[in-house]
Amino acid sequence: MPDIEDIEKAGELVTHAKSKGLTYADFRAVRLTTEDVSLSDGKPDKIDRKVSLGFGVRALVDGAWGFASMPGCDPKLAKAALDKAILIARASASLVAAPATLSPLTPPRGTYATTVAKDPFAISLKDKVDFLRSLDAALRQTQGITGTETTLSFRREEKWFYSSEGAAVTQNIVHSGGGMVATAMRSRREVGERSFPTSGGQHQSGGYELIEAMKLDAACPRVASEAVALLDAPSVPAGTMTVILAGDLVSLQIHESIGHPLELDRVFGSERNFSGTSFATPEKRGSLKYGSEIVNVTSDPSAPGGLGSYGYDDEGVPARPVPLIKNGVLVDYLSSRETAARLGTTSSGAMRAETWQNLPLVRMPSILLSPGTGTLAQLIADTPQGILIATPSSWSIDDRRENFQLGGEIGWEIKDGKLGQIYKDPVYSGSTIEFWNSCDRIAGPEEFTIWGTPNCGKGQPGQNMRTGQGASPARFQNVKVGQTG
Amino acid sequence: MLRTKDQVLSLLEDALKRSKGDETELVYLEDRDSTTRFAENAIHQNMESTDARVIVRLVKDGRVAVSSTNDLTPTGIDAAMNDALQIGSFLEPDQSFPGLVSSPAAQSVPAFFRATDESSPLDRAGSVGKIAAAAKSQKVQIAGLFQTETQGMAVVNSRGTRQWYTETRAEFSVSASDDPTQGQGWAIGAARDLSKLDAVSVGSIAIDKAVRSRNPEALPAADYTVILEPAAVGQLLLFLGFLAFSGKSYAQGRGVLSGKIGQKVTGDNITIVEDPFLPGYPGMPFDYEGVPKQKVTLIENGIARGVVHDTRTAKMANAVSTGHALPADNARGPYPKNLVMSPGYATLTEMLASTPKGILITHFWYLNYLNPMKAQLTGSTRDGTFLIEDGKVTKPIANLRATPPVLEVLDRVDLIGRERAFYPQYSAMMYVPALKISLFPFVADTES
Repeated sequence: MPDIEDIEKAGELVTHAKSKGLTYADFRAVRLTTEDVSLSDGKPDKIDRKVSLGFGVRALVDGAWGFASMPGCDPKLAKAALDKAILIARASASLVAAPATLSPLTPPRGTYATTVAKDPFAISLKDKVDFLRSLDAALRQTQGITGTETTLSFRREEKWFYSSEGAAVTQNIVHSGGGMVATAMRSRREVGERSFPTSGGQHQSGGYELIEAMKLDAACPRVASEAVALLDAPSVPAGTMTVILAGDLVSLQIHESIGHPLELDRVFGSERNFSGTSFATPEKRGSLKYGSEIVNVTSDPSAPGGLGSYGYDDEGVPARPVPLIKNGVLVDYLSSRETAARLGTTSSGAMRAETWQNLPLVRMPSILLSPGTGTLAQLIADTPQGILIATPSSWSIDDRRENFQLGGEIGWEIKDGKLGQIYKDPVYSGSTIEFWNSCDRIAGPEEFTIWGTPNCGKGQPGQNMRTGQGASPARFQNVKVGQTG
Repeated sequence: MLRTKDQVLSLLEDALKRSKGDETELVYLEDRDSTTRFAENAIHQNMESTDARVIVRLVKDGRVAVSSTNDLTPTGIDAAMNDALQIGSFLEPDQSFPGLVSSPAAQSVPAFFRATDESSPLDRAGSVGKIAAAAKSQKVQIAGLFQTETQGMAVVNSRGTRQWYTETRAEFSVSASDDPTQGQGWAIGAARDLSKLDAVSVGSIAIDKAVRSRNPEALPAADYTVILEPAAVGQLLLFLGFLAFSGKSYAQGRGVLSGKIGQKVTGDNITIVEDPFLPGYPGMPFDYEGVPKQKVTLIENGIARGVVHDTRTAKMANAVSTGHALPADNARGPYPKNLVMSPGYATLTEMLASTPKGILITHFWYLNYLNPMKAQLTGSTRDGTFLIEDGKVTKPIANLRATPPVLEVLDRVDLIGRERAFYPQYSAMMYVPALKISLFPFVADTES
């Protein structure tokens, strides 16, 4: 692997280059180290480590963009990549609408590192495998459990960013995640499945201390017994009713129906061919009643713990909180320097690429729904009739981010403020604006968690981004439940 | 390409000699991706990305571990092999691992074309410019992707397997839109050989649809007869690949076809084959374990006939590998990447003429599992949804949310198109006809 001096040299070489028509260039190198440990039924299913290092160069020439990326970090290759990016940008310039401009930025020079108490890469693999085996054994203590999946996942992203404006930023971002699934299968069509802390596991920025804080071992008896109970649970009766979503489903709802529609690139049509567009068009800024009065949503990459938390985005824009929805009204968007300039504002710091190979796009940082008051138990007690739904199992939303259908692993009937009958496969659907305007209570900070989404797809070629949504359980009125066709 | 066959095999064979494993497999993956993206009738993203990496699967004392790196110096590959050795030392022997296999050289397929490999950003910009001009003349805007990709792949292992393959692919997809009237259209084209891909024709289909779908009217959600264009059929098939045709879920007893081989699962008129040697768009002739790929009949005249396997799931199911392993750093199990549905005899005109009332669907968006056990999906229509009345397309309609149980709707296929089209999605290719299906379920229009 090249050393850091090579990377710095390559970065300076690119960003100090002079070329006819070149108005801006940036250089971003990434060294990505990952470790995935998954056991299936207590036996290794996927245990691997990956290391990848490379860099990408963006060039803005005659108002048009070019990007080239290469593995390694040889300064000679960096120059070749810049030449390639300039060549590509000149081709782009043959078909531009309006020359790209960038919102102003004081060139940042700094470093950022995730706060890590226990380096996950320093914990031995044996300890990790033994821990997952202990979870498998604990889940199987419950009669009826026929299968388990237990996982741990760690990621270190070292980043170097330089721009022709003078930016020089280094970051060291660490993510840790883990989770488990218990399965009770009687026949192929009779399956009960429960995940913990949520489907796909919980992922946050931080070290191995996050895994310990999940208390996976303590949750095993409850998770396993719910999986068995789901075997004989009825489907949720179809109807329009009051719904309380557990925090992980509120997180998914924020992701799909607030985060994505407020990405300014898709608002402007840049993602029309794949991810789609947005109903939240710019003229609605400042007036669209997106949700009820209690709905306050902020983009905050500076929030500790989120998968979308960092010091600087991939244009070097420092992380800062940006209110998106205030007292239910749409006030701002997730933006890049180019899209912000088009809107006449400054970047929210949301430009990110999956890794060195990819062009940065406007992606969700940590998106936080401000908590209300009270515990989940108090929220349930305050609900005469309805259903509590937890743990995402299905999700789909149209290409303008309006009509959605989401489902959970488990539901509980709520009657007279108490939980009753368990339901399997509860599905609900709605329309974004109507749904968020029906939100009449949000649980308090004691229930607040930044849930991680480690697999958000966007862009062509597709990029897999890691995002976080902060949420407490919340209640919604008049929701269509159980309609599956 | 960055490296030639000789360079790659030499690199890997030298590394094999240094391995401290009892058995070692090295998979080499190289990629150059050139993508021009456009929106609002202009190019907004334009890139070229290259990478090459080696995935190590190393067996020591029955312990199996995987590691990968894109540092392809001897030091880098040795570090990855040592990493795998160290990972394995923490594991117990893997009783379900069938061992690496010695495979004969796979047959060569014509998948590499110079015209694709040498495509330039100026070439792509030129094609996009022509379509943008056509779009402007119709007062619509286009957005899309023009991508060319060259890939090289090798598998070598300590059992003597030596495989090498190169491919090119070109893909052009375009959306056309007129936001004030909600007109939307979309089309896609794909080819191994760029010179066979008529991007301008693809663009004109999308533009025409956008023009014809202006001012759509809402239609109440209900079960309708539908005519699915090939892309929509391909999307349903892609999900069947995950839910029904993977040997892993099948062997675990959780696949949609588990316990149903030999039984009727769709209408008699449905035959689906995994065909890696499809003329016009051949796929990789071996898998990531180096096993030569086989053509596999999955559903024949409505009867479930088989699933695809890698060596591990083959052992679980007491079968043989069909050559469909994914890379060793993937836990999903084998997957069919070249799904082909047999054609019928109907033209689109005949399908329309036989439909008193129905919906013509271009494709779906955000299909996802709703009930995996029933292979039931949820997703919305997109980019041109039209009402059929008295045998003719009469007007555009607003998008609808559909919830098709895939095998069930394939039991209600009234007509199958005689023409087929290639439909690429993710890393799979589907070659599929249009289908006319009765009682296709919709639960909501997308405004509700």
